[in-house]
Order: sequence, then structure tokens, then C-alpha cells
Amino acid sequence: MIFDSDWLTEYLDGARNLDTLAKRLTDCGCLVELREKGDGAEKWDVEVTTNRPDAMNHRGLAREAAVAVGGQLLPLEFELSECDEDATELATVEIADPALCPRYVARVIRGVTVGPSPGWMQRRLLNCGVRPINAVVDATNYVLFELGQPLHAFDLDLVRGRQIVVRPAQAGEKLTTLDGEERQLDSSMLMIADGEGVVALAGIMGGADSEINDNTTDVLLESAHFDALSVRRTARRLGMHTEASHRFERGTDPEMAATACDRAAALIAELGGGRVCRGRIDVYPQRWEPQHMEFSVAALSAFAGLEVPPPRVMEILDGLEFFPELEGDQVRVSVPPHRVDIDRLPDLYEEVIRHVGYDAVPSQLPVLPTTPGHRNPNWELIDRARDAAVAVGLNEVMTWSFIEPETDELVGSQSLCPGEPLALDNPLATTQGVMRRSLLPGLLSAARTNLNQGERTLGFFEQGRVFDLEDGGPREHERLGIVLLDESGDAETRFLRLKGVIECVCGKVGLPDLEWKRGGEPWFSENAGANLATADGKTVGMAGLVSKDVAARWDLGTDVAIAELDIDIASEPALPRYEALARFPSVVMDMTVEHDGGLNYAELESATRDLAGEWVEDVSYVTRFPLPDESGNVRTTQRLVYRHPDRSLTQEEVNTEHSNLREGLAERLGVTFA
Amino acid sequence: MSKARLDEVRAAFLADLEEAGSDAAAVETVRIRYAGKKSGLLNELLAHLRELPNEEKRAYGRGLNDLKKEIEGSLAEAKKSAVIEIKESSGKTSVKGHARAVAAGGQGRIDVTLPGTPVAQGAQHPVHIVRRRIEEIFLRMGYDVEAGPEVEDDWHNFEALNIPPDHPARDDQDTFYLPQGYLLRTHTSPVQARVMESRKPPIRIVVPGRVYRRDSDLRHSPMFHQIEGLLVDEGITVGHLKATLETFLHALFSDDVEVRLRPGYFPFTEPSAEVDISCIFCDQKGCGVCSGSGWIEILGSGMVDPRVFEAVGVDSDRYTGFAFGLGLDRIAMLVYGIPDLRQLFAGDQRLTRQFA
Repeated sequence: MIFDSDWLTEYLDGARNLDTLAKRLTDCGCLVELREKGDGAEKWDVEVTTNRPDAMNHRGLAREAAVAVGGQLLPLEFELSECDEDATELATVEIADPALCPRYVARVIRGVTVGPSPGWMQRRLLNCGVRPINAVVDATNYVLFELGQPLHAFDLDLVRGRQIVVRPAQAGEKLTTLDGEERQLDSSMLMIADGEGVVALAGIMGGADSEINDNTTDVLLESAHFDALSVRRTARRLGMHTEASHRFERGTDPEMAATACDRAAALIAELGGGRVCRGRIDVYPQRWEPQHMEFSVAALSAFAGLEVPPPRVMEILDGLEFFPELEGDQVRVSVPPHRVDIDRLPDLYEEVIRHVGYDAVPSQLPVLPTTPGHRNPNWELIDRARDAAVAVGLNEVMTWSFIEPETDELVGSQSLCPGEPLALDNPLATTQGVMRRSLLPGLLSAARTNLNQGERTLGFFEQGRVFDLEDGGPREHERLGIVLLDESGDAETRFLRLKGVIECVCGKVGLPDLEWKRGGEPWFSENAGANLATADGKTVGMAGLVSKDVAARWDLGTDVAIAELDIDIASEPALPRYEALARFPSVVMDMTVEHDGGLNYAELESATRDLAGEWVEDVSYVTRFPLPDESGNVRTTQRLVYRHPDRSLTQEEVNTEHSNLREGLAERLGVTFA
Repeated sequence: MSKARLDEVRAAFLADLEEAGSDAAAVETVRIRYAGKKSGLLNELLAHLRELPNEEKRAYGRGLNDLKKEIEGSLAEAKKSAVIEIKESSGKTSVKGHARAVAAGGQGRIDVTLPGTPVAQGAQHPVHIVRRRIEEIFLRMGYDVEAGPEVEDDWHNFEALNIPPDHPARDDQDTFYLPQGYLLRTHTSPVQARVMESRKPPIRIVVPGRVYRRDSDLRHSPMFHQIEGLLVDEGITVGHLKATLETFLHALFSDDVEVRLRPGYFPFTEPSAEVDISCIFCDQKGCGVCSGSGWIEILGSGMVDPRVFEAVGVDSDRYTGFAFGLGLDRIAMLVYGIPDLRQLFAGDQRLTRQFA
């Protein structure tokens, strides 16, 4: 909120140095964010926290300032002279729902001439960002910024029946507010009505039909106290936010309603030349009762970790108008009506601590049992996956958790997420309308972005959550997504590079033995895609080169390799077990098998391992090439390492083993040997 | 003049050989051009020797001889690696780059100022680098690292934290809502509530994670990251909070930074404090980062409000505690000088590469 420095210091005793004042206010919790030159004074932008509506006006902030600089708050002085005419005979007020309107104060000012307000008032209002309108309206705004009490002035002649009824709106009622908008009302909204219909939105804005105009002579001045929640709900519902609603929503001072009404009436009479009628019309069905609290200075000191001398406690609470009484170590206070934020002991402690200052509190580290800290095990595993991806040379990126519904629809059912999409009720943009069920759309867009930036190769990953609706509730799953694009290599090379990366990562998160099965369409081309499954058949990953459709959608080539892994099921990998280091030499033998394309490598290797004798220490892939004839057959070379743990093998022994293995393979798989 | 011709040929040869790389056929072409029996350049240079005056013959001959040896040596080397390359290519091992380096530069003195062969290395996202640094600091102080759901219910995100429905503080945390009353958590604080519901004090945790607010401009992103801390035990004081934050911020930035606590407001702490550090860029002289104030706002903190304790079943007469939270993205931007928050989520590998 913007404050006028001249106005603020008007309530403080003695001349005040503005620099000191700004600093002290900041120190006690009213951050002076910006000071700039205004008309005749400085304009201060002060961040008053939302729990402190009492300081959202000049007098309230001056109260804080007085305590902060150790000065006095001067009393509010004004003179109100009344004429003999009795206000209560000129208008009536009735409150239908006292819970929503605990107090309604009104005054009548007659014989007003509506003209502009004086320069000093206009300057202050303009410094605070308020446009002057006329003396009557300006006076109500002035008192709002001075005392924090929102007021409204009606043209009394336009209040039909000269009666005010505070009641909920009836369905179908309408009101054109001061800003010219026609508002549709419903029964949840509190209204100010006259003898015939609605004339104002309670605590938010007045109606256009009863507003002060050039012909106004008699003014009905409203100074009420409305329920915070009711004003807030109505304002939200109507999409409105005004200076009045801002304060009512946060809580106003019911006791201030009368003072503010008197103050504004005096100003209107003074500026507009009218006369204030005798007495207030004051309907106050729910009288404010002070709340008493009690605490010990020792408890306060223990909580703060600082010995605060009782006189200092008294000085602060007295300045803040808590009327403290000290008896021994006990302090008894009465919470003032403007402090809606105080109802627990820590609230009171805060009042003292913030004025004593955090600087005064000695730093002291807490002492707790010397137990080591632990990372949440899942969190630890996720970082392990991330580390593995970085270790193989990938760069980590982040993309948005929400994506375009259209994209989700296209690919969602083919993702690792089994559930329904989780759509946002109120997205910022339709392109961010639904929570992602897969990391791949975001990563493919990132691929496009990077290529647009002139990148020629891609090697990045994202670790993050995906979301879906399953068994009636929202679910979250941890995923790892990978994008690879090299400048060189055929489809197989690209695929195997991706597979190598995945195998490396999976090993690090306890998923070493996944089965690779052809699949994963429509993400991948049918020739170059795979689903990854655990031993019990659960699909936990997919990897491959993007299909033509996917490539076209993201404007990429079909040489981009992508993968997504479910790392929810990751687990702590088993500790490595030491194996005795070989002491005798090995014999390495290659074996080239000729077979048709129907036999995949995994089957071949598994049969080889199965049939190999106990001396075979390792079986690995060397190469494969198609035969140049029309048979469609291929030749696959495997490398076998033979070794005996206790002695050297002879070449003859190995040859015998090797040829037995050939025969076994020929028999089981029907393969031949070149 | 003639000596210069030898150098010219040497340079041309080296360039050609480099271009041929480990392609055996290309190496053979280079061999024929320079060392071919019939029309190789070396033969041509030899013929030139005969035309020289006697006094020059000696120096030229020696130079030519050296060149011949060098060319033959390099060719032999190149041929060998080209053969290796062919063999290895069927075994999926590429030695291409290596072979070329040997062929081109392996002969004479190594130019040690040549750049080292790049090694592929990945990098973590700067936000995660910062997160893990902060986690480490607190782990060493005995805090546990906890995680929680990003899709939350109203209870844990708001009500348990003393933010009832229609509370004005909800204005400051514009929320994305999901079906069935769920929402995207607006801060990591709900994990505080979850941990306190399930565990008895003493509690010391930090909670990193992704959070969401319905807000987007230069300084706000609808998705960002926070880390939250909570300590609950008997007799915890404001002084404990202050010392813990100072210790943490000194470990994160430097022992020289000054830490300032200013009264603030959060519904779930009472009293609350905004925490600033002295500007690490200008020594508090005033600069663009601290907007001339000499201070940088770094985190929010406070003593846990007894209402929060009551909501999650912790005895508020017996226990006190403190909590604090900070934006990881903001810290990353500050520490690394990244100007735009949204750049962090653009998926640009050029950004991450800078942190390898």
C-alpha cells in the first residue's frame, strides 16, 4: 500500500527523520519497499502483510512507527458540531442478519454543496493513488486511508423510504454499481437495500442510482462492520476487488466504525458547508467484547531464546494499545479491537519479538541426538538413476509437468501410464491443460527446440513425475526419459547406442534383467522399437527410433532415438560380490552361426549359454551380417571364453567342447555353421 | 627455393593423409600420389636433384631423403590403422579418430597445445545441483530428506497449515485445481504436515520438490521448485531458528555473508521471518541483483504455529519447532546468474551443458 510520508508523520510526536523511520518500520515487519518523491511529501510503498489490516492506513502504520522509533502516537483530533435535527428521525437502519453485519453506523449531513475537495486533501489522495472525485466522496476515501474504516456516502434523497436494510440479496436481483457494471446477485451475497431494492453491495461498492451527484444536498453516511468471509466470497464471486473489500476481507475494527463516521461527517460538513444532524444511527447487535490474554515473561523469553526485560515488554504492548498489566512475571493484556490477528500466545510473543528485533536474539544451534540424516530411499534411487544418465554423457533437462490435451490423447494410451488423464480445472493455457502421462511429448518438443537452436546432436534426459487417474484417484509415477541423436550410424547402431545407455542406467537402479521385446508403436517405427519387461511380464519401459508419424508431428527425422523408463519399481541394486580372480589363462573361440532371420540374438545366446559346458566363462556378441545370396539367412558370430578354474586348458579340450556346443546348437535351433 | 618446395610437398602430403583418415582406399590413393613408383611426387623431386648446382645438391638431397622417410613411415602407419579400423568396424569399435591422430601428428614432436580429445560428459540440471548441495548441508546436520506427492489434497496443502477455505493467504498462492478436490501443491509445506502426522518428535527434515502456482511472468513460473525445512522438539527457540539459518546460509554461500531476519507473515508460522543475505555480488554497495538495497531476500521462515501442531496431532504445549522454505530455482538463478526463470524449463541442452 502507498503511504504519504507527511500524513504518516502527522500523528507522531516530534520531527522524525524519514530514513530512520523507514528503516525501523522495515525492521519491525512493515517493509518499506520503495520511496519516491510525491506531491509535497514522499510516497512510500509499504508491504503490510495480509494479517495486519490494522496497519493498512496511516494512523495504524503510525501506531507501529511510534513503537518502532520509541515515540508517541498523538491523539486523533477533530471537532464535530451537530445541529439540532435528530438523525434518527431522518433515516432508519435495520440489519436482517447480524452475523454478517455486526454493526451499522450512519450519520446524516444536510445542506451540503457538492464541489471539489481542497488541494491538501487531493494531494494526499493522489499520493496514495486515489483519484479525487468530489468533496463528499473524497472525505470518505480520506478517512478510509486515515483510519482504515471503509465508508459509503448515499444521496439521502435517493434512498427510497429513507430506510436502510442490510440483508442477503434475493435471487434475480440486479445492481448497477458505481463503476457502471450491472451485477447479477444471488442469495449468498449481502446487500444494502432501501425501501424498494438494492442500493449497494455490502462492503464492496455502492450503487450508481444512489451515488453522490452535483444536486446532492443531504448525505447518508454509512460506516459499517461486515463479516470478512461474507465480503470475501461475494467479491470473489463477482470478480471484484476494491479498497473497501480488501480491508473488510482482512478484518476491520468494529469499534472504529463510530469514530470514523464522526470524523468523516465532520470533514464533509467542513468541506461541503453542510450541517451534521444530531446523533448516530447505530445498530450494533453484536457488540465487540475484548479478549484477555495472559503470559509469563519467562515463557516468552524461553520461546525467543532471549531474556526480554519486563519493562520492555510493557513498553511495546502499551504502545500497541494492548493495555498491559504486569503482576510479578505475569503480563495480562486486552487485545484491542483493531488486532484481528491476535488470539494465541505466540501471536503476542511475536509482537514483542518483532519490536525487540531479531537482531537482538542470540544465535544458538539446537542440540538433538547425534543421529545421521537419511535420504528417503526412493528419492535416493531417483538420484541414482539421474547420476547414471549423467555418467553416460547425457545432459539433464526439465520440461513442463502439464501438456496439451491433444498430444496427451494421441500418445497417452500408448504410454506406460495405465490410467486416465488428469486434467486441470483451471489451466493457464490450453496448451498446458492436462498433467503429462509420459515424459516423451515434452522431450520431443525439447528435441525440436534444440535442433532449432542449431544443435546437431542430442543427448539429454529428464527425470520427473507423470500423473494419471487410476482406481478413482490421482497417481504419480517417477520416470526417466531419454533422447539421443548422433550424426552418424545406421538405424541399428542408433538403437543399440540407446540400448547401451538404458542398460547402464537400469543396472544402477536395480533393474538389470529386463526383457526387450519388439513393440512400442505408435511411438516407434515397427522396425526399431521395443518394450522392456520385467521377469514377471510387467512393461516398465519402451525404447526405439521415432516412427514417421511421431517424427512428422514434432518435425524431426526418424533417426531420433527416445526411451522412457518406469523407475518407480527401481530398487537398491545388490551389493557386488567378489569373484576370485582367474589364475589360469583363458582360450577365446569365436563361433559363427548361420540361421534364418526368425531366430533373434537373445534366443541364440540363451541357448548357447544353456548348452555351454561349465568351462565357458562368457558368451558375447561379435557381429552379424546378412548373406549376399537370396536365402535371407544371416550369420551371427559369438565369442566364447573358455577357462578352467584350477588348471590351463589344452586347445584340444577346448576344440572338443566347442564342437559339442556346435552340435548341440544345430540340434536345438536348427542352425548351421559356416 | 628448392628447400621450400620440399616443405610445400610435406604440408600437402600431411593434409591429404589427414583427409584420407582411416579409409584404406583413400590412403592408397595418397600413397600413389606421393610414393607411387611411376609418377609419385617423390620421383619428380628426385629428378629435380639432378638439375641443381653441385653446392645445393647436398642439402637438398638430405632434405629429400628425410621427406621420403617421413612419407613412407606415415603411410605405413596409416595403412596399419586403416586395417585395424576395418577389422574393428565389424566388432562395433570405432578407432577412427585415434588412427587419424596417430597418422597425422604421431611422427614428429607433439603440439602439446592442441586441444585434448573431448570426452563425452553429461551434467545435471542446475536446479538439481543446487538441491543436492542443500540436501548435503542438512544431511550433515542430521536432517532427513523427505519427499511427498505433487498432487495434494486441500487438507495438507492448506487447512492443516492454518489456511482455511477463503483465507486471504490463498490469494497469494494461486492454485491449480484438479478433479475430486485435488490440487497441485503450491508449496512443499504439505510434506511437513504429512511427516508430523506419521512420526513423533524429535523431527528434523528437509523436503525438496516441485510445486505449482497459477502465475506466469518474468519472475514467476507456473512450475518451480522449493526446499522446505522443519525441526520439532522440546524447547526449540527463535534463537535456534536463527542459528540454523545462519549456519545453512554460510555453508551455502560463504561464511562472510550477513544474515538478516525481518518480521514477516506466513499463516503456518508465528512469529514469521523473512530472511535476507547481504548481497554477494556488490558487497552491499548496491547493484542490480539486490536492487540497490544491499540485501537479497532468500527465504521465509518462522516458529511452527500451534494450530499446525494441533491439526497434525503434535502436542503444542510440549513441543515447539521452526520451519523454513526457499525457492531452488531462485537460488540457482542467483548463484549462476541465470536471468530468466522460464529458461530453466525450456529443455535446452545448451543450458545444462554449462554445468558439466
